Amino acid sequence: MSRPQTLVPAVLLIASFASIAAASHSSRRWETDPRGVLIAIARAPEKERARRNPYAEQRDAVLAGAKLFREHCAECHGSDGWGSRHAANLHAADVQGATPGELEWLLRNGNIARGMPSWSGLPEPRRWQIVSYLKTMH
Amino acid sequence: MSMSLKRCSAVICAIIAAAIVLLQPARAQETPYFVTYSHHMEEPGNLEVEFNPVFGTQRGGNSYLAGTTEFEYGVKAWWTSEFYLDGQSTFGDGTLFSGFRWENRFRPLMREHWINPVVYLEYENVNEADKAMIEVVGFDEEADYAPPNSALRQAHNHELEGKLILSSDFKGWNISENFIAERNLGHDPYEFGYAVGASRPLALAASARPCNFCAENFLAGAEFYGGLGTTWNATTSGTSHYGVAIFGWQLPNGATLRISPGFGLNDNSHRFILRWGISYEIPSIGTRLRRLFE
Repeated sequence: MSRPQTLVPAVLLIASFASIAAASHSSRRWETDPRGVLIAIARAPEKERARRNPYAEQRDAVLAGAKLFREHCAECHGSDGWGSRHAANLHAADVQGATPGELEWLLRNGNIARGMPSWSGLPEPRRWQIVSYLKTMH
Repeated sequence: MSMSLKRCSAVICAIIAAAIVLLQPARAQETPYFVTYSHHMEEPGNLEVEFNPVFGTQRGGNSYLAGTTEFEYGVKAWWTSEFYLDGQSTFGDGTLFSGFRWENRFRPLMREHWINPVVYLEYENVNEADKAMIEVVGFDEEADYAPPNSALRQAHNHELEGKLILSSDFKGWNISENFIAERNLGHDPYEFGYAVGASRPLALAASARPCNFCAENFLAGAEFYGGLGTTWNATTSGTSHYGVAIFGWQLPNGATLRISPGFGLNDNSHRFILRWGISYEIPSIGTRLRRLFE
């Protein structure tokens, strides 16, 4: 293999590993809006905030939401939703004070810059089922 | 397979086995595509291990079984990095390791939009015997695979590849379009290709109880992909095109099984290809490996 052919992948590898190492988790500050709701949630547009959960008050939706929570959310927020250094406590007032529409909006969009992925790959009914479960945590 | 490659494979297998033993199951937002990329990134901190074989028929040569082993890591919610090891076995000829690829995907927009762009950059170091066919570009065609492995493996390709991934989610459907530009670092013009895919779970809402065979765990869809010529001759003719059906089954333990029978859409294409794959999501791999040494 000639030297230029070796050099290109080597430079690419070193640059990437350096970038990955530099991309450490930033510390979290949990800022809230005047209602006391996390800013990341309160950024939802007014139209989204007013949306109603089509599965509200449905027991099966809460059970399904609990199952989905275990599969997708518990890894960061903990199996009981109490959160961690990098993930919000879902029992807290700054989350429970949000409307169902805001929570669904947050699940759809994520908080990508701060580490929460978008869950738009989950069909909308499943996101509402998770919201149904989250609202039982207050 | 050389001794160093065997040793490297054994170390990788040992690490994966240790991580799997220690892990709690997690499920990613899987699309069942084999060739097309969507805007859904690997969840940060998670490692997805995939094994994706492909069987292809070959006119003017022997049919083959090729495949990729893929390690996909979520560096950030907006950055996914993936490493591929490629190999193939041509019936009546031989088996060989055909190279590696390393790709990074970056999501520039931090919110969901009607169309969500993702920028894809890949370096690949593969020889001409690589038959994994994870993309079709330029004037790739069936006849390229016909010569014996001993001849094909002599030519090495060092290539950079870029993709613009556009992807949308609508009423449970994912619709993704990929535009591909690839260039051999040594010579040759840019080669272009495309891949489009659409898929949907069979049920949108989840059932109340855990289950393996619920409709919600199954995905179905289709993919089309092919070449678009080069900078010297951008065209859809003289290259190969494929249409494939795709089916996926997501198991509650974090594994996803996929199968995809496909057919060449013109005379330059393999008549039949069959892909299948298994992937396994290992959540928070860094934390788990650190615990091994604490």
